[in-house]
Amino acid sequence: MISERHEELATLYTLGLLEREDRRAFESDLAGNAELRSLKADLAETTAALTLSVCSFAPPASLRARVLAAAGAESRHEAALAPVFRFPRWLPLAAAAGLAVTAIWLGRQNLSLREQNTALRTERELAELAYQAAQSQLQERTLLAEGMINDLGRQLREQQDLTRLKVTALASLAGNTPTAQAIAVWDPGRETGLLTIDRLPVIADSQDYQIWVVDPAYPIPVDGGVFKPGEDGRAVLTFHGDKPIRSVAAFAISLEKKGGVPKAEGPIVLLGKF
Amino acid sequence: MDNSAQSAEEERNRAQVQLIAAMSRGDKTALAGLYDQLATPLYSLAYRMLGDAGEAEDLVQDILLQVWRTAGSYDTSRGSVFSWIATLTRNRAIDRIRMRKRRSELLANAAPDLQPAAPEGDADSAGSLWLREKAAAVRAALAELAPDQQQAIELAYFSGLTQQEIAAQLNEPLGTIKARIRRGLLRLKDRLPSRL
Repeated sequence: MISERHEELATLYTLGLLEREDRRAFESDLAGNAELRSLKADLAETTAALTLSVCSFAPPASLRARVLAAAGAESRHEAALAPVFRFPRWLPLAAAAGLAVTAIWLGRQNLSLREQNTALRTERELAELAYQAAQSQLQERTLLAEGMINDLGRQLREQQDLTRLKVTALASLAGNTPTAQAIAVWDPGRETGLLTIDRLPVIADSQDYQIWVVDPAYPIPVDGGVFKPGEDGRAVLTFHGDKPIRSVAAFAISLEKKGGVPKAEGPIVLLGKF
Repeated sequence: MDNSAQSAEEERNRAQVQLIAAMSRGDKTALAGLYDQLATPLYSLAYRMLGDAGEAEDLVQDILLQVWRTAGSYDTSRGSVFSWIATLTRNRAIDRIRMRKRRSELLANAAPDLQPAAPEGDADSAGSLWLREKAAAVRAALAELAPDQQQAIELAYFSGLTQQEIAAQLNEPLGTIKARIRRGLLRLKDRLPSRL
């Protein structure tokens, strides 16, 4: 008679649900209980039959050929690795003789190995020295690598800094400076700009070009200073507003009287918006 | 089950044992014969557990090659050929499910308390007459179980969940789950032939 407890263990065992200790205990019970073994065997068949309860699908036709090809490849491989060999009748005598010869040979080898042992000890000491030298080289290279990593980190940080810069191209507003080319770069952190201009018309001595920074915080553009291009129409200069700049919406360049004006009066020749 | 059906079962199992014996001697046609008989249920099981047709194919190939390599170790006293190979397939599928779990995939997605989407091919038209008849018998026997027993057994067999995980998933005490599995599986055993 099988107890309910054993029935429960048998069902859980066949489903692979027992923890390791319970499984070992159950296997120990199985060893001494034929009736329980029979129940377990029947339950194993029942459990396997659950396989057939699923919706049945044929595998792709290619799978059959693949399985057979793989089996064939394994067979050939094994055949190549393990050629058929039959033991001859004289093998035991030959083995005994071989053992005797081997014993003599081992004795000689023992002496030889002692000599080799001394040589190996010397080699080992040399190897340890080489190891120490290699280790110090490695430490030096590690330091060098750390330096390179720090440099790369610094370069990366500098590149990340560049991403905060604002860049705009200024264009001729009224067609009065059609060939002029101007680029303005603004660094919000430093509230400083860099202006590069080419082919700006040359102006009279009594005139200056004046830069204006358009900040929505102020009712009128902020004065960014005056400049005069060279005879070739080129100018490169840094500039900043005469008031604190919170955000830049645009840059403008106007043509004013020499020395500039607090509020733009002359024509706007170039404008660049963000 | 009547006597003629029982003897047909035994005859079929004997034939499969002979195929295994021939495979142990390197007979590839025996492997082809076993494939023709068992590939469909093994593939269906693997697909049901893994929910992925490609993975199911790989699994069936691995298992049949394992059987090819270890055919000589098959011992008839340990169960039918079908039971042996189905158990190998299920265990390997559980390994894969647990590997997925370790890879932080949600096991709940793999736990097939619902039928996964079908792969290409006609469902239930595949396989031999023997398989179709057996499948119908197993399904009928399962359908006779109380729904909660059926659910616990299916989850235990197909999901790769532990006892505790099954209890948690069904929101029932562990003792209740064990009792459902025990009663349900014993009842199934009484309804099904001893060897498939």
